[in-house]
Amino acid sequence: MFFRPWVVSMTMAAVLLIVCDGCRSHVQDKPIGQSVSIPIPLGLPPLPLPRDNPPTADAVALGRALFYDKHLSQDDSLSCSSCHNPQTYFTDGQRLSKGLGGLSLRNAPTVMNAAYLPFQFWDGRALTLEEQAASPIADPLEMNQPHNVSVKKIAANGEYKAMFVETFGSDDVTIGRIENALASFERTLLSGNSAFDRYQYGGDQTALTISQARGLAVFLDPNKGNCASCHTVRPHDALFTDGKFHNTGEGVGDLDQFSDIGRYHETKVKTDTGAFKTPTLRNVAHTAPYMHDGRLKTLKEVVDFYAGGGNSNLYLDPEMKKIHLNGTDREDLVAFMQSLTGEMPPNVGPPGKK
Amino acid sequence: MKMKICLLLVVLSAGCSKKSNTVPVAVLDAPAYFKVDAASAGSISGKVKFAGPRPRPQLINMEEDPACVMAHAGKAYDESLVVDAHGALGNAFVYISRGLEGKNFETPTTPVVIDQRGCWFRPRLLGLQTGQTFKIVNSDPVTHNIHPMAMVNREWNHSQGPGDDPMTRRFIKPEIMIPVKCNIHSWMHAYIGVLDHPYFAVTKDDGSFEIKNLPAGTYTISIWQEKLGTQEQQITVAAQTNATANFTYKGKS
Ligand code: HEC
Ligand code: HEC
Repeated sequence: MFFRPWVVSMTMAAVLLIVCDGCRSHVQDKPIGQSVSIPIPLGLPPLPLPRDNPPTADAVALGRALFYDKHLSQDDSLSCSSCHNPQTYFTDGQRLSKGLGGLSLRNAPTVMNAAYLPFQFWDGRALTLEEQAASPIADPLEMNQPHNVSVKKIAANGEYKAMFVETFGSDDVTIGRIENALASFERTLLSGNSAFDRYQYGGDQTALTISQARGLAVFLDPNKGNCASCHTVRPHDALFTDGKFHNTGEGVGDLDQFSDIGRYHETKVKTDTGAFKTPTLRNVAHTAPYMHDGRLKTLKEVVDFYAGGGNSNLYLDPEMKKIHLNGTDREDLVAFMQSLTGEMPPNVGPPGKK
Repeated sequence: MKMKICLLLVVLSAGCSKKSNTVPVAVLDAPAYFKVDAASAGSISGKVKFAGPRPRPQLINMEEDPACVMAHAGKAYDESLVVDAHGALGNAFVYISRGLEGKNFETPTTPVVIDQRGCWFRPRLLGLQTGQTFKIVNSDPVTHNIHPMAMVNREWNHSQGPGDDPMTRRFIKPEIMIPVKCNIHSWMHAYIGVLDHPYFAVTKDDGSFEIKNLPAGTYTISIWQEKLGTQEQQITVAAQTNATANFTYKGKS
C-alpha cells in the first residue's frame, strides 16, 4: 500500500484539526446497523471497506440524499451532483468545473469506482472518500460553505432527523457523519459489466468488435500502446488505473513549466512535478473532455496525444517513450475505449428516482 | 529595446574573515547592440543550381491518417529536393558562417511562424535568430506533435490539438540545422537554422536569394540543402555594392 509514516501523521494531524474545529462533539460518527453487501459487477475486484464506516443501508440512503442536496453550498445552488452528474457518468462534461468561486482549476473526475482508489483527487491530496467528501463543501472555489454552516443547515431540515437517527442512533448532525454517509453512498457507485468485461472476464468472444479486440491487444502490448502499464488490467478484474501518479506532459506550458504542478504539491518531490493520478478509463467514452485540465476534447485527440509521445519535459514518465502507434492502432484504440461503457447501478440518481 | 541587467557582485573579503559578505547590486545597461551603418553596408545575392537530373515528383502517402488526406487539398509531393525546369534549386538555406564574430545583433521582436497545415509543415525551411520567438500554429483538424531534434539546443516535442492556441518557443544557441518532424505523421519534415545574426536567407523556387544590409567586409558564405549537404565560399562585400555568390550542386554521380 501507499502509507508512508509522514502521510499517516499528516492525516492524523488533519483529522485532529477537524475534531478540534468545534463543530464535532463526542457523538459517534460510525453508523449503527448491518453493513450491506454492495453487488460487485463483472470486471471489478472486491470492494475495500473501512472498518469504522461500514456501508449500512441507512447510511447509503442518507449519503444519497446529501449528494443531491444543494444546501451543502453557500447559496444553495450547488450539490455534489452539479459536478458529478449521473447523466454524464458522474462528471460534469465541462472542461473545468464551475463552482461558486468561478472556474475550478481542474476537470471533474468521475466518482464511479472511486471507492477503489488509494488516493482521491488528481494530486492525491485525500486518501479516503471520507476524507475527500468534506473538502469540496468548504472549498471556496467549489461549494464555499464552512462546515459549521453545513451542519446547521442540514440539522434545520426536519426530513433528515429520522435519517440521522436510523443511521447513527441519534439525530446529531456532525461533519463527520456527513462525510461518512457521503462516502457510503459513493461506495455504491460501481460500474462494470461493459462489453470489454463480458469479453475479457465473461468468456463472450462476440462482445467486442474486431476493431475493439485489436484495440485491446494494442492497449496491452508494451511495444505498442503500452497503455496498461499505467491503466491497469489484471487477470480477474480491471480498474484501468494503477492509482499512481505519472507525468504524461499534459499541461506543459511555453516555458516548459507546469502551471499546475500536480503531485509535487503534496510530496515536494521534484520528479512528481506535473504528475497526476492515472484516471480510470471505465465509461470514458461518456466523460469528455479529458485530462486534469480538460484540454483534450475527444478520445481521438487523447490517442493522438499518446501517439506523439505526449509533451517533453524534465519529468516525463519513461513509460511514455515506449508508445508506438500506427494509424490503424490509433483507430482501434479509440474503438476499444468505446467498449468500456459499463452498467449504471440502480438507486444512484436523485432520491425518489431510480 | 533597452534591457537592464542586474549584476551581482559578490565581494569576498580578503583573508577569509568570517564577516558576512557584502553583496552590492549594480544595475548596468545591457551591452550595446551592433548598429549597421547603411552607408557602409552592402549586399550579397546569387542563384543556386542543381546540375543533376531534375528529380521526379514523389507522391506522399497520407493514408495512415485519413483526416490528413482530407486536410491536404490535392496531392502532396515530396519537397526534399525542389528543382525547377532550368535547374534552379529552391529551399536551400544560405547564411554567413564566418566574418561576423564579436558583433552582437539585436533579437528581432517579430516571431517566425511555422504552420501545420494539410498535415504539412509550412514553410519547410526557416531561419531564426537566437532568442527570437518561434511561433507554432496548428491549422489542421488533427493533432500534431512537433519535434525539433536539436543537438546543440534542447530537444523537445509538443502536442497540439485541433483548435489549440499557437505556442511559442525559443532557441538559445546557433545551430545549423535542426531537423523537425511530427511524431504522429512520419512524412512531415521541416528544418530550422538558428543564427546569432540576421544574415541568412532561404532560396526561392527560382534558386535566388538575397542577403541585405551587411557591413562591408570579408565573409564566408555557406549553403545547406537537406539532400545535398553544405558548400561554402569566401566573399568580400564593399559598401553600397552588391556582391554575387552563385552555388552549383553536382548531381549524384
Ligand atoms: C464545483 C464542482 C464540484 C462540486 C460541487 C463537487 N466536486 Fe467533487 N470534484 C470536482 C473537481 C474539479 C475534482 C478534482 C479536483 C482535484 O483533483 O483537485 C473533484 C474530485 C472529486 C473526487 C475525487 C475523485 C478522484 O478520482 O480523485 C471525489 C470522490 C469527489 N470529487 C466527490 C465529491 C463530493 C462527495 C461532492 C459533494 C460534497 C463533490 N465532489 C462536489 C468538482 C466538484
Ligand atoms: C505513464 C503512464 C500512462 C500511460 C503509459 C498511459 N496513460 Fe493514459 N493517463 C495517464 C495519466 C497520469 C493520465 C492523466 C494525465 C493528466 O491529466 O495530466 C492519463 C489520462 C488518460 C485519459 C484521459 C482520461 C480522463 O478521464 O481524463 C485517457 C483516455 C487515457 N489516458 C488513455 C490512455 C491510452 C489509450 C494509453 C495508451 C496509448 C495511455 N493512456 C497510456 C497515465 C498513462
